Amino acid sequence: MRIYSASSEETLRARKLLTDWAGEGFLTKEQYQLLEQDTVADLRTTNIFLRLVLFLFTLISVGAAVGLFFVVFLSRPSDQTTGFFFLIFATVCYAAAEAAVSRARLYRYGIEEALAVCSVGLVCAGLQVAFFSGSPYWPKPDAVCSLVPAAGAVFSLWIWRRFGLSYTFLAAMIFVIFLPGYWTSSHSVQHVIVAVFYATGLVVVTAVRSRHRFDYLDEVYSLAETFLWLGIYLAINLKLSSLDLPSRWWIDSRADSEFSGWFYWATWVLIWCLPPIVLVRGIRQKDRFVIAVGAITAILTFVSNKPYLGWVRHTWDPMLLGILLTGAAIFIRRWLAHGPGGIRRGFTAERLSGKDKHWMNVGSTVFGLLSPHSITPGPQPSSPDHRFGGGHSGGGGASGDF
Amino acid sequence: MTILTRLEQWKEQGKISPVQHAHLAGLSRGEPFSLFLDLNVLLYAGVLAFVAGLGWTVSTWSQQIGDVVVLTTLSTILAACSWYCFSRAPNWSPGETPAPSPIFDYVLYLGSLVWLVELAYIENRFHLLSGRLDPYLLVTAGLFFFLAYRFDNRFVLSLGLSSLAGWFGLTISRWSTHQDEAYRQYALLYCLLVCVGGAILERRGLKPHFFGTYLNLVANVLFWAVLSGVFARQDYGPWFFALLIACGGSLAWGLARRQFAFVAYAAVYGYVGVSSLFLRSVSENAAILSYFVVTGVAMLVVLVLIGRRFGRQE
Repeated sequence: MRIYSASSEETLRARKLLTDWAGEGFLTKEQYQLLEQDTVADLRTTNIFLRLVLFLFTLISVGAAVGLFFVVFLSRPSDQTTGFFFLIFATVCYAAAEAAVSRARLYRYGIEEALAVCSVGLVCAGLQVAFFSGSPYWPKPDAVCSLVPAAGAVFSLWIWRRFGLSYTFLAAMIFVIFLPGYWTSSHSVQHVIVAVFYATGLVVVTAVRSRHRFDYLDEVYSLAETFLWLGIYLAINLKLSSLDLPSRWWIDSRADSEFSGWFYWATWVLIWCLPPIVLVRGIRQKDRFVIAVGAITAILTFVSNKPYLGWVRHTWDPMLLGILLTGAAIFIRRWLAHGPGGIRRGFTAERLSGKDKHWMNVGSTVFGLLSPHSITPGPQPSSPDHRFGGGHSGGGGASGDF
Repeated sequence: MTILTRLEQWKEQGKISPVQHAHLAGLSRGEPFSLFLDLNVLLYAGVLAFVAGLGWTVSTWSQQIGDVVVLTTLSTILAACSWYCFSRAPNWSPGETPAPSPIFDYVLYLGSLVWLVELAYIENRFHLLSGRLDPYLLVTAGLFFFLAYRFDNRFVLSLGLSSLAGWFGLTISRWSTHQDEAYRQYALLYCLLVCVGGAILERRGLKPHFFGTYLNLVANVLFWAVLSGVFARQDYGPWFFALLIACGGSLAWGLARRQFAFVAYAAVYGYVGVSSLFLRSVSENAAILSYFVVTGVAMLVVLVLIGRRFGRQE
């Protein structure tokens, strides 16, 4: 089913690992050069920057080509004609993506990815325009109209399986969010349907993943599992998945909630149960992505607990959260460091990969530039003449409105 | 063939030693599994959340708490962070220096952010400089550059660079006429200052690994400034010329140093600038779309050629 052969992808993976190990000094330069000859892949790859730019220009070219076709060859076409041609263009894009891989041997090159993504977008646009052009885009209970997001989800999943592009798995999950809106008007049922879809996907992914524990597919399934865990959590956390989220967070929203009492409190129990389960799963599997999503969902539970309970939020809540996070990080680091060789139960706080250092350098630069903007507080509302905050330029908000 | 099978094969062929095989096979299986990155992210998020809450609390409750308590608290945190950093730091070295402890960088970052909160509070409450914030930003930028170079910290270097940019921005914002033009010129001056400063420091061997941070920031500020000139309705000619020079420079640097972020900057910013100039005189849909088809494909061809010639997997 996959367009790339297993041996090609394993070879690429081995090559990446060799580069990382040589950078960390686990292999000598001579060994690296020797082993590199054993990991020559027949796939054409590029670096992340060229990949992104190639993706962008492919999107521009395809979008403009489709638009130009309609402008030049069709004046005032009917919806059915427009939709029909969208579907034809989707087919052309998909065929081009397949050809780019099978003939030019492109692998994560940007071009074949953008063509595949365009084919998904054009299929959805074609179906929508051809069959449901009179229907509003916002879902209302009408099962037939769910064909568009269903087709989008299925086709995205196909692209994920065929090309291994993890973001198309995420796209499929996003399409699923729109499905229940066509089937029922009950918000509670909509949340349950989305969670059930994701949970089913999780069962399938975890079952399949167990066969690929140490091969190249492990990372693909790891990301899929991560997205699914996060999706389930977001589907059951009513305070995060409500559309009018920002306005609700600052008031007691329990009273005017559209959810029934038992459903509301069941989801509250679940948002406390899920993070430990995800964390334990991630730690057992030694899966970085799943551990990360476990930590993220735990933080989100802390953050959304007060709005759930209808309690007043305090300005010092972020301070307590910060103390909790730093305390947890320091405790875990010390606990691991005091184990024999700095290792406990197969875990270490030491850096073992050059990629970690690279990400730290990139992250510290980017977040160092961005963070002062996000942490600066707003003015004190109770006293108009006592203003403090702002910060619209750098320097931690020292330049804002005082 | 999985990586574990390959390692076994390489060991049998004598390409790696049994010790290396055991170590690398362990790493491939996640034994041990490193939580280095995860714990660092947790620390960073914790510091950020703490300072956000601190600033929020101070700004909301300062009248009720009182100046003495607020300033004492902030100064105590600042003093504790300073004491920790100066007492634990190793002797200064011009090269890349590892942090003396895993939490060192975050304590320094916490202290830097608390300094900003305290400075903002003092000016807000006591109006020492009558609301003029640019001197604060200049002093803060200087302090952060000193701390970044003393303790080899990219977080604080980025804070210093953004404070310096803020100082340039605030200085111009008080001028009433030709603001856009003035902003552009001062953005260029900022780029020149940061780039030349970074280059001199790199040449002298002072934390040369910071140079990449300088260059990436300069490239983005420079391209934004030049593009805003290209977008202007009048006198855009020199800015377009400047854009072409900047694109050429960025492309040449990126290819020469194998830093493909600069190739990407040249491609994207250059394309946006040239397209804006072309499209301002064209209103017909077919011509606009034809332009995007032709130039999009042309860019793809050029980038593929660059990718084949230079841009293998990093």
